[in-house]
Amino acid sequence: MPDFTDHLKPRYDGTATLQAERDASTINVRDLANHLLSRDGFLQAQDRVLKVLSNEKLFKKDQQLNLSRPERYHLGLARAKAIRRIGRTQGWGDKEYAMAEYLNDEMSPYFLHMSMFVTTVREQGSEEQQAYWMPQILNYDIIGCYAQTELGHGSNVRGLETTAKWDPVKKEFEIHSPYLTASKWWNGSMGRTATHAIVVAQLLLPKKGSKTDDDEYQSHGPQPFIVQIRDTKTHQPLDGIVVGDIGPKYGYASMDNGYMLFDHHRVAKSAMLSRYAEVSDETGALNRRGHPAVVYGSLTFVRGQIIMHARLILARAVTIAVRYCSIRRQFKDRDSTSPADEELKVLDYPTVQIRILPLLATTFALHYTGEMMYNLYHKTRQTIEKGDFGMLAELHSASSGLKSLCTMLAADGIETCRRAMGGHGFGGGSGLVGTNADYLSKPTVEGDNWMITQQVASYLIKKMTHAVANLDAPPKDPTDELFQFYLKNRAHRIPQTVAHDGEYDDQAIVDVFQWRAADLSYRAYHARVVEKKPWTKLMIQLHNLSRAYSEQILVTTFFNSFHETATSLSGPTPGVLKTCFRLYALFTLDAFASSFTLTNAVAPDSIYSLSDAILDLMTELRPHAVKLVDAWSIPDWLLDSALGRSDGKVYEELYDMAHRRNPLNRVTFNPDWRSDEIVLGSGDGGRHILAKL
Amino acid sequence: MAPPTPEWVKQLTPSGPQGHELLAAERASSDIPVDQLSTLLHTKEVLDRKQQILTILKSEPVFDKTQNYFAGRTERFETALARAKKLANLKVKHNWNLDEYRTAHDLISEPGPYGLHDSMFVITLGEQGTPEQQERFLTKAQKYEIIGCYAQTELGHGSNVRGLETTATWSPEDKTFIIHSPHLTASKWWIGSLGRTANHAVVMAQLIINGKSFGPHPFVVQIRDLKTHEPLENVHVGDIGPKFGYNTMDNGFLLFNKVKIPHVNMLARFSRVDPETNKFVRQGSPSLIYGTLTWVRSTIVMQAGSVLARGVTIATRYCAVRRQFQDRDAPASEKSENPVLNYTMVQIRLLPLLAATFALHFTGKAMMELYQENQKRMNAGNGNRDSSKRGAGPEETQSGSDILADLHASSCGLKALSSTIAAEGLEVCRRACGGHGYSSFSGIGPWYSDYLPTTTWEGDNYMLTQQVARYLLKSARSVINKEPPTNDTTTILTEFLSRSEVGCAFDIIGSDADLVSAFAWRTSFLTFEALKHRDQNKKPWNDLLVDFYRLSKAHSQYTVVKNFYNALQSPAVTSQIPASTLDVLRKLFRLFALNTLEQEGSEFYASGACSKHQISLARTNTVMKLLKEIRPHALRLVDSWAFDDWVLDSSLGRYDGKVYEDLFYRASVTNPLNGITVDPYPSSDVLFKKVEGIAARSKL
Ligand SMILES: Cc1cc2nc3c(=O)[nH]c(=O)nc-3n(C[C@H](O)[C@H](O)[C@H](O)COP(=O)(O)OP(=O)(O)OC[C@H]3O[C@@H](n4cnc5c(N)ncnc54)[C@H](O)[C@@H]3O)c2cc1C
Ligand SMILES: Cc1cc2nc3c(=O)[nH]c(=O)nc-3n(C[C@H](O)[C@H](O)[C@H](O)COP(=O)(O)OP(=O)(O)OC[C@H]3O[C@@H](n4cnc5c(N)ncnc54)[C@H](O)[C@@H]3O)c2cc1C
Repeated sequence: MPDFTDHLKPRYDGTATLQAERDASTINVRDLANHLLSRDGFLQAQDRVLKVLSNEKLFKKDQQLNLSRPERYHLGLARAKAIRRIGRTQGWGDKEYAMAEYLNDEMSPYFLHMSMFVTTVREQGSEEQQAYWMPQILNYDIIGCYAQTELGHGSNVRGLETTAKWDPVKKEFEIHSPYLTASKWWNGSMGRTATHAIVVAQLLLPKKGSKTDDDEYQSHGPQPFIVQIRDTKTHQPLDGIVVGDIGPKYGYASMDNGYMLFDHHRVAKSAMLSRYAEVSDETGALNRRGHPAVVYGSLTFVRGQIIMHARLILARAVTIAVRYCSIRRQFKDRDSTSPADEELKVLDYPTVQIRILPLLATTFALHYTGEMMYNLYHKTRQTIEKGDFGMLAELHSASSGLKSLCTMLAADGIETCRRAMGGHGFGGGSGLVGTNADYLSKPTVEGDNWMITQQVASYLIKKMTHAVANLDAPPKDPTDELFQFYLKNRAHRIPQTVAHDGEYDDQAIVDVFQWRAADLSYRAYHARVVEKKPWTKLMIQLHNLSRAYSEQILVTTFFNSFHETATSLSGPTPGVLKTCFRLYALFTLDAFASSFTLTNAVAPDSIYSLSDAILDLMTELRPHAVKLVDAWSIPDWLLDSALGRSDGKVYEELYDMAHRRNPLNRVTFNPDWRSDEIVLGSGDGGRHILAKL
Repeated sequence: MAPPTPEWVKQLTPSGPQGHELLAAERASSDIPVDQLSTLLHTKEVLDRKQQILTILKSEPVFDKTQNYFAGRTERFETALARAKKLANLKVKHNWNLDEYRTAHDLISEPGPYGLHDSMFVITLGEQGTPEQQERFLTKAQKYEIIGCYAQTELGHGSNVRGLETTATWSPEDKTFIIHSPHLTASKWWIGSLGRTANHAVVMAQLIINGKSFGPHPFVVQIRDLKTHEPLENVHVGDIGPKFGYNTMDNGFLLFNKVKIPHVNMLARFSRVDPETNKFVRQGSPSLIYGTLTWVRSTIVMQAGSVLARGVTIATRYCAVRRQFQDRDAPASEKSENPVLNYTMVQIRLLPLLAATFALHFTGKAMMELYQENQKRMNAGNGNRDSSKRGAGPEETQSGSDILADLHASSCGLKALSSTIAAEGLEVCRRACGGHGYSSFSGIGPWYSDYLPTTTWEGDNYMLTQQVARYLLKSARSVINKEPPTNDTTTILTEFLSRSEVGCAFDIIGSDADLVSAFAWRTSFLTFEALKHRDQNKKPWNDLLVDFYRLSKAHSQYTVVKNFYNALQSPAVTSQIPASTLDVLRKLFRLFALNTLEQEGSEFYASGACSKHQISLARTNTVMKLLKEIRPHALRLVDSWAFDDWVLDSSLGRYDGKVYEDLFYRASVTNPLNGITVDPYPSSDVLFKKVEGIAARSKL
């Protein structure tokens, strides 16, 4: 309906503003985009799949936030199905499907089928089991999920309560939930969608020589079983199984995370995935075979993916914040004297910069480390296949610390960006409402971010113990090298100064991050190994160690990329990336200053000048900000953000969303408290609402 | 609804020690008298009032919370409107006063469509309306004969009120104002209660007389028909759509196409247009409004304590019930798992926040008392506030001579600090609960998302710090000019200046008083540093914003630490609780102060307030020891915040520890999704095969 608001324009033209920002920097966006995103033809796949999805009405995003939980799931399932069907007609491969998930940007009810379910069968199933299951899985004849976590246990997998008891007479397993806390919980795709589940249960076998008396069973730890849970026709739960959706969550509205209980449910022997362990028909004993290190390998790979994903999520938030804050104007400069001066762009206020620009720098820090992990993973894979697990320990423990750090940086970064945008950041038009809510699961899933830092710490303590005892052994990896260097030099360490009067010492920056990590490792080693302090008491220290060690990896890896960027990129880009490196490093150094001074990494007096250095670096980076985020190539369709649009039409879009696309405005309410009627003219005394409560 | 639960499932219980046993054991490990401590925090009167009102609310079906987390936006708003109406009815029925009505709101804990009518609309009419205007508008508003909102923020401007684009042009011919939106960015935006509910608005617009602008002023404008509730002609109004939180509120937009309103609709207590001469006339001082702002911000500080306490209550109770892993150093025979609250990694996240709830509570309380005292003193004469010399805010007055100025500046900084601590603290609590924290049934997530705008409204938290810095710089200049100290800020600055040559030697670990002094020292140091940058080095204001932000934070942290310390010295507190409880509170004080000091270590070090060694000692020894000593009291400390289960609406935070039973009940019984049977295969385009219960409606 036309009205007088149709012709109104914003006071400042957002499109021209962004154009001016882009004109002010000579960074070649296309080159940088290719540099960042050419792995596996990412950019090309993005173009291809975007074209298809953005033309389908089903994938329109603008009503999502208005829908109820059941409606969100409904929509989620419809989209999941549509993606599979479109993929078939378009001849998509894994790469395109993954891209479709990324662009669709909500958890698909098929997600666990395509990830943990198929991976587990592939990695833990015997050849025979794979031959049986894989075709059905790949063809979506069955839909699977991964049921490990229970109501009572998540982090502590050894503590799972679901049991799988071997019946030596019938040669089958009986799966059972002895307690309420044994209920499977949180398992994605299980609540309404899946027909099958990988159920991780405690394997109970009769003790040697005993008959089948209950007490005579012994647990052999958690093992994976593939179990049908719903009828393939009626889709009702099988007898002896109770399964459902666990209800609304902070995010993940489209996903049916589920619960599931078993009442002495019988499954055939073949249900136990038996690549690495099998129950013997004759003796009822467990035969283990092979080394499940490959599993750790894939875990490490998954964490590498998490980091690559984290960088894109953070890049998305930063893209929105940078674009919006360079269009948003508020106040004239306080020192301004001319009445003709326009209001300042809020991105020109240092208190806005200090929240956003270090995060912009962080996206690149994450990038180079993610790349490094991919490369290392591929290298390690080859050595594993040759039977050498050498590098895996290093990569595996490093990966848990990095997962923790990077997902936290991204999760907190989204929120920082959102808040930096003032009131509009809180609105649905920010495009960060869903992103934030969905991403917040990441600090918890795939290893709770606080919990798993203990793995890194325990690894580093081991390494340090070894280094102390074998000071001159040939180093096996960079950590050995660092620790030996540290031990040989700790007696005469001179704390460094990394920035002085506008000069930066990049090598020294790397050095202080490494030194701090080594020193904290040494302290942890000393407290635990020499002083024998209780583990629990050391946890906080260990957590900080993991963080320091991971930060050291980010900084070192970023530094090591200079060589490549200098040769493959031109114009100001390599220099700007160097500025990003310095900004990320100095910002981190400043935030954890006392950790750097207490470890003698940096000279305490040099800390105070850091804030000036950071301001200078931000000033250097500021003109390039819009082009740097452009290089991350996040399509508008994915951003789904009025504030972050690449054409800068912030206000037009906000208004359009509110005025023309908001279902609440189609309802006229009766606001008078004396009347029970809620919707005006309905004559309904609130009964309609009460019926729903 | 969901299918019936089979008998064998009903028989199941959680494994191991039951939640209620675990919590009972926790409560037995501490001798804190919960009721006494509760009374100290809330007073008996307030606790009784809550109980009474709670009983009423629980008996009304419309306040049932079970489906809150499942519904779509429009339904949520409908329900919220039904609730708002019911509350207004109950208010009349039970003859509630304002305090009681607000208590009811707090207990329901969701923003409602009458929210802005009840607060800013009525307040503004009362404060800025002449007696005649109050008669005309306020009386009707109080009776809900008109329903209003407060429309200041626009699409293009929020923080910068002087930059508003909506105009109110004086038309001398017919003695009216013409309200107009010249640009799209002039659209009012974010205005609570405006989207679907209000029929009136207080509109802030640039007053223009004869082509000249006189800055933003408040106008009362009718926007919807009182009968049909349709927008009036040339008024364009609606709801702005779904948000991060606050979805039960109809925040709205509003545009005017040359709408005429009569002269009497400009709220004229402090300035008006003379209809005879067509001249702008200023009368009286709006400094009272700054008083109100100070008051509002002090309330935010105090609220921040209890807002955070909700999250801390939930997380602490849950982490005492949640058991995961055996202790790594425990003997192999030890079977039982550790409550995760025993892990220092969990303690370091939760216990400093627990300390912060008390710190913020006592600080807010002290601020409000100081405000009331000062208000009394000013009303008793000697309140000669010379309006002509007053600039934009009280911090522009001669600093050092005015407690109100100090209070105003402190309230700005504290609003920023406390709402940041509360918002971020809630998220820390949520994450500390691991996977179950991500469920809506944790009760933390939704509470957090509704609280988040507090960091933005009533002054954006970053923006506000500039006001604090400006005030501190003024104070420092007065101290350098040797003016005698007149309030706390000038006192600590003078003290610092007199000792800056010799330096200080605070025993931050051994003496609580010294710990407070160390915070004062660091603040003073940063103040004079900033002054040097601005006055001597002539740095541009803009370049100093980050310094100012840090300075304001330092000052606010000092204020909190000082107020917490003072409260624990005051007889009003010490006489009400046993010495052993006081001792625990003092530990909380130390934990809050030392944990903060440790985090800001480099500033303390740089200022010379303490040595590197002291910081290191605080971190590795003292804080760890405090965690251990406070741990046994954690449950009773959160109990003393006295949140009713109905208010928390959380499976994880239940008083009786029945975490798992409740999670399971809500998932399996109240969850509409479980009434749906799907066709899961991509080859079929059937989605829902069967829909039972209330989940049927689809809007695709
Ligand atoms: C959105 C979402 C999707 C999920 N999808 C699946 C799925 O598909 N399949 C599946 O099987 N699971 C799934 N999960 C479960 C997830 O893997 C677990 O929630 C996760 O492993 C964390 O475990 P927890 O919830 O038991 O946390 P807890 O271990 O209970 O953590 C609670 C707190 O205790 C702390 N803590 C625990 N142990 C220690 C310790 N030893 N030392 C110090 N601190 C400790 C933690 O840091 C945390 O603060 C999902 C979870 C979510 C939120
Ligand atoms: C849920 C909700 C309800 C609301 N209800 C109402 C209502 O009922 N009535 C009403 O009138 N308003 C309302 N508001 C609006 C609210 O008051 C404004 O959002 C708030 O004042 C912030 O202004 P802004 O959004 O323009 O932020 P901006 O000023 O645009 O802030 C954007 C960023 O710029 C920074 N910035 C801005 N200026 C400066 C500067 N000079 N120096 C340094 N940094 C700067 C800020 O720190 C922030 O990071 C509501 C807002 C929300 C979110």
